[in-house]
Order: sequence, then structure tokens, then C-alpha cells
Amino acid sequence: MWDRSKDIDFDAYIRGERPPNYRTTSGIELKEFYTAEDAPSRDERPGQYPFTRGIHADMYRRRFWTRRQQTGYGSPRESNERMRLLLKEGQTGLNVNLDVPGELGLDADHPLAQGDIGLVGTSLSTLEDAEELFRDLPLDKISTTIILPPPSSAVLMALYLLLAERQGVSPSSLMGTIMNDSFNQLVGPTREAVLPFFPIDASVKIGVDVMEYCTRQIPKWNILNINAYNMRQTGIDAVQEGAFAMSLARDYIGLLLQRGLDIDEFAGRIAFFCDVQMDFLEEIAKIRAMRRLWAKMIREDFGAKETRSCLFKAAVQTSGLHLTAQQPLNNIARATIQTLAAVLAGVQSIHTTSYDEAYALPTEDAQKLSIRIQQIIGYETGLTKVVDPLGGAYVIEWLTDALEERMLALMRRIEDMGGFMKCYKDGWIENEINKARYEMSGRIERGEQVVVGVNAFRDEEEKLPISIFKVYSSEMQRARIEYVKRYKKERDQKKVENALSKLYEETKKGSNVLPPVMDAVLSRATLGEICDTLRRAYGFEIQV
Amino acid sequence: MERRRPRIIIGKLGLDGHTNGIRIVSNWLKDAGFEVIYMGIYNTPERIIKAALEEDVDLVGLSFLEGSHLFFAERLMELARSEGLDNVKFVFGGVIPPDDIPRLKAMGISEVFLPGTPREAIISSLRSLLGGTYGD
Repeated sequence: MWDRSKDIDFDAYIRGERPPNYRTTSGIELKEFYTAEDAPSRDERPGQYPFTRGIHADMYRRRFWTRRQQTGYGSPRESNERMRLLLKEGQTGLNVNLDVPGELGLDADHPLAQGDIGLVGTSLSTLEDAEELFRDLPLDKISTTIILPPPSSAVLMALYLLLAERQGVSPSSLMGTIMNDSFNQLVGPTREAVLPFFPIDASVKIGVDVMEYCTRQIPKWNILNINAYNMRQTGIDAVQEGAFAMSLARDYIGLLLQRGLDIDEFAGRIAFFCDVQMDFLEEIAKIRAMRRLWAKMIREDFGAKETRSCLFKAAVQTSGLHLTAQQPLNNIARATIQTLAAVLAGVQSIHTTSYDEAYALPTEDAQKLSIRIQQIIGYETGLTKVVDPLGGAYVIEWLTDALEERMLALMRRIEDMGGFMKCYKDGWIENEINKARYEMSGRIERGEQVVVGVNAFRDEEEKLPISIFKVYSSEMQRARIEYVKRYKKERDQKKVENALSKLYEETKKGSNVLPPVMDAVLSRATLGEICDTLRRAYGFEIQV
Repeated sequence: MERRRPRIIIGKLGLDGHTNGIRIVSNWLKDAGFEVIYMGIYNTPERIIKAALEEDVDLVGLSFLEGSHLFFAERLMELARSEGLDNVKFVFGGVIPPDDIPRLKAMGISEVFLPGTPREAIISSLRSLLGGTYGD
């Protein structure tokens, strides 16, 4: 007999539903309601210092945020096809990622690379690969973010400049961003992920070389993108995300000043890559607090005079950590809510994570849907017609203040311990991350943090209602290995050797590595060979 | 004679550095009385198999996020067979497409845990893989 009443807990109807607690994800206790007393009037306007309400006065009325979905898998040709498909569907900026071997400075033919070729980014080693990746993409009309850490970021920057030259585009017309963050691009600032493949001090030095070169030679290019997103995805909270990112930026600013650059030459060209998670109000307030912190830090601590230097530019990705394998269509709702929060926070670009990514890289359809979510918010909701629509809302202003205060306190603590880079090297950052991970898993296990479909409203007989993208192909991996091997055979070896030994010498001398890296890629040296040469120059061997 | 606690290697293969999963699961298993040998990231199949032999473990748990599970499962299980690790059970966890699960099981992976699997489900599944040797 079919008796549904047995499955229904009628007592729960009487009890009713309510949140498991009244704290934000970062632990701030919320009051029942807020009044004008909680949000002292500041009479601040969007586009005015300290830019809590947005970095532009007209914001999305003039121009929507950039739709910038991260793309890359397989060979450069496949990645180029996916990028062009996304542009056709309404993406407005590129976001290029190499596979992990590429991020770590290894060619496809390296013994450690074999299983990971082309899986989560494009496999790329040569100038010809770079040409293939950017085929039919006019570099003076579309902005590109290259999400690589040093030393690979130096190689890609060199390749990009050479491609521009071949397209007849002058460096002054190039628009985009090189991530260049030594600590976070792999999986956040863990020592176990970052340290085995390149010495960290040398990585920072090469990153600053790239920043210095770009500051002087490519006027519209963003030289550093602090990857707060990857930090946050380890499980830390909004306060830690903001404070860690700001403290790291502070250290980089110190190093750039040491190169003799003026704060106003480069501060306007530092950007941030932030996370936006499910705690709607807190995430909006977080971005607002970070804008204010940055502006104050740049003007008050570093003495910047130009307005442009004080603008906190935020690229945002919705949270991959919050995607569930269970009931994957629920992720569409999550991504939509997070995208909405990013728009209400007034960010500069958004990558909406796709609903199928708890299983694999997204399918074409899932990526298209991510773009559609942004277009629906942009064109149908009316939210783009007014700047900072939540400005003045008591709770938003109160939370913005509360987060700013907590971030500032944590930044001071990090400063007292010698700054972010030192705290990373000492292992303090990694300890904080591990603590946060355990706490996050505990909250979900105890039900303090409800994840629909995972620790509540589970569907035990669930059949997977979606199709999954197949990226792994042993043929693709073999083809890439053979290509790199062939490339290394069929070239003027003398030229390569000369360029690499020049790079070695210049590195030893402490010169800026970007010019000799450009010569090396021109002479047909590969990404892996260049990074190996740098490792040798620093007397470093891969510790795996 | 009292049996020792179940011993498990936890780690990752290849260049995939995502450690949220192995960090959290390692802690859960320690709390549940397992002896966890945390091998971290950037391991080769050879290194994992060598450690499994030397440490005389009952279980090996490996996590994947970037899609390299099929590539590494093949090498790993070949090595396990040639080294005669018949009594060691291998389990995988992480971002793994459902269609790949039967393929992994055919290669000899005993269990595959997707993201969001509750703590208790993992622990009881590992206990039952050990055939009740360790009780509850």
C-alpha cells in the first residue's frame, strides 16, 4: 500500500522552520533588526573616496560588469574554440588558464606531468601554442586575464607581448591582467602545494619583475591580481579572505616601492580576484568593506595622490566550494544568488560557476547557462539601472563597518607578525587554513550550516539528471607529449642554448628576467625549459 | 590478541593540489580511531604502493579533483597487483563523474566517495570493507 503520510513529519509543521543560528558565516552575531542608529549617515556617494559604494559614479548604467568565464582544457586549439563559442554567446572578456603542469612550469613531456596534461586548463608550451590559443582574437579589442603564478606568468606575459607584436598591436593598446600572485594560484596559500616546484622568494622576485616591466611598458595592463578567491576556497571566512588579500597586497606594494616606482604609477593597476559565497548580506558587505580598506590604505598609508590608485577593482567568481554533487540542479540557484550578490556589491567582472562542476569541468551548455544567468540579472532585473541599490540599508552599512573593523584588526595582527609573506613562510597561514577547514566540515556535520541536498533534504534515490563533460583523453595527452618532443627536436638548438644561457646569466645577476625570457621564447625555447633554467639559476631542484 | 587499529594512507596523486578533502577526511578518520598516514600531494603511484607495503596498511584512500582518476587508477592497480597487495583495499574520493565509477571499480577500486558524502557514511563503509575485523 502506498502511504505517503508515513514520510511526512507533521509535528515539524507545528514547530515551523527557522535558521540554525543568527550568526553570519564569519561569526558576526546579527540583531533582530537594524535602525538608523546602527548605520551612521556618511553622505558618501558612489565614485567618491573611500568608494564604499562603488568605484564609478555611473557603474552599470554606463557599462555592465565584464562577463569573464575562466576557460581552458586540452590543447590550445580546443581552448580557442571554447573561448570563441563563449564570446559568441555574450562573454565579454577572456580568462585564460593553463593546465597544472603549465602552472608549475613543466612541459607535457615531463615525467611528473603525464596524468595532468590539459585537464583543468590548456596545455601550452610554445610560441606556436600561444598563437593557436589566441587565433582570431584581436588583442587590442578584448581584455584578457591570464591566471598564472610566477615563473610561468613571466613566460605567458612574454608570449602575449610577442603575439601582440605579430598582430600589429602596440603594447599601449593591450588590455588585461596578469595574475602574478606567487602564493595562491594553485590551491590557495598552502606551503605543501606551492613550495615543491619553485623557491618562493625567487617566485616573488620574478613576479615583481613582471609587474615592474608591465608598469613601465604596458600602460593599460593590470600587473597583479591578488587571488583572494583561492584563499577563501580553502574554507576560511569572509574576514580572513579580506584581511589576507589586503595584507598580501601590502607586501607586494612594499616590494614595488623598493624598485623605485611611485605608488601612483602602479596602485591603480593592482586588482583583486574575490569569492562570493552563499551568505548574501555578508558577501555584499565584504566587497564594500574591501573597497573602503583599499582606498584608505593606499591614500593614508602609502600617500597616493591619484584617485585611480584608490579604486579597488574586483573580479569575482561564484563559489565552487558550495557546489554540491547531490541534486546538482540546485547549484543553478546557488550560482544565481551569488551572482546577484556580486552585482549588488558592484564588482567589475564575474565568472558564474557552472552547476555541473562538482563532477567535472563544465559542458558547453552549462557554461552558456552561466552567461545567461548574468544576462538575466543584467537585462531583466533592473538592478543595473541604479548604482549601489543597497547603499544606506541599515544592515548592509552596519555589516560593512563590522567587517571592515574585523579585517583591519586581523591585518594589524598579520602586520605585527611580519606581514603576510612571512606568516605564509612560517606556516601560520596554513595553520589558520587547516583550522578553518575542520571548522567548516564540523559546522556542516553538526547541521549548524545547512547545505540543501547534502545535510538536509537529501534524496537517497537520486538519479543524476545532468550530462557530464568528458575532458580526460589519453589520445589528447599523448598528442601533446609528442608535439612537445617533436618541437624540441625540430629547431635551431644552438639558438635555444644561447638564449637559455643568457637567461641563466641574467637571472644569476639579479636582472629583470622578462627581456631574456622574451628572447628565449622567440628562439623557440619552451615554457618548461625556461622555468627549468630559472630553477637551475636559483640552485633549486623540484622536491617531489 | 587484540587487533591493532586500522591503518590507512591518505593522499593525492599527480599534480592536483586540492587538499580540502584529504585534510578533512584525515581528521574524521583519526577521530574515529583509524591510524592515518597523511601522504599529502604530488605523489606517484610508485610512492603510494611502496608506502603501502612498508607501512603494512589496510586501506589506501586517494582523492581527485581535476579529472586524473582514470589515468592514475590504471597505473596504481597494476602496481598493486604486481606487488601482491591483495589484502589492501583502495578507495577514491572527490570530483569524479558517475560514469567513471563502474570503470574504477572494474580496475579494483573498492569504493568511490563523491563530495558531500557524510562522515558516518565514509567511516561505516571503510569499516565494512575491512570485513568487521576491527569491530565498531
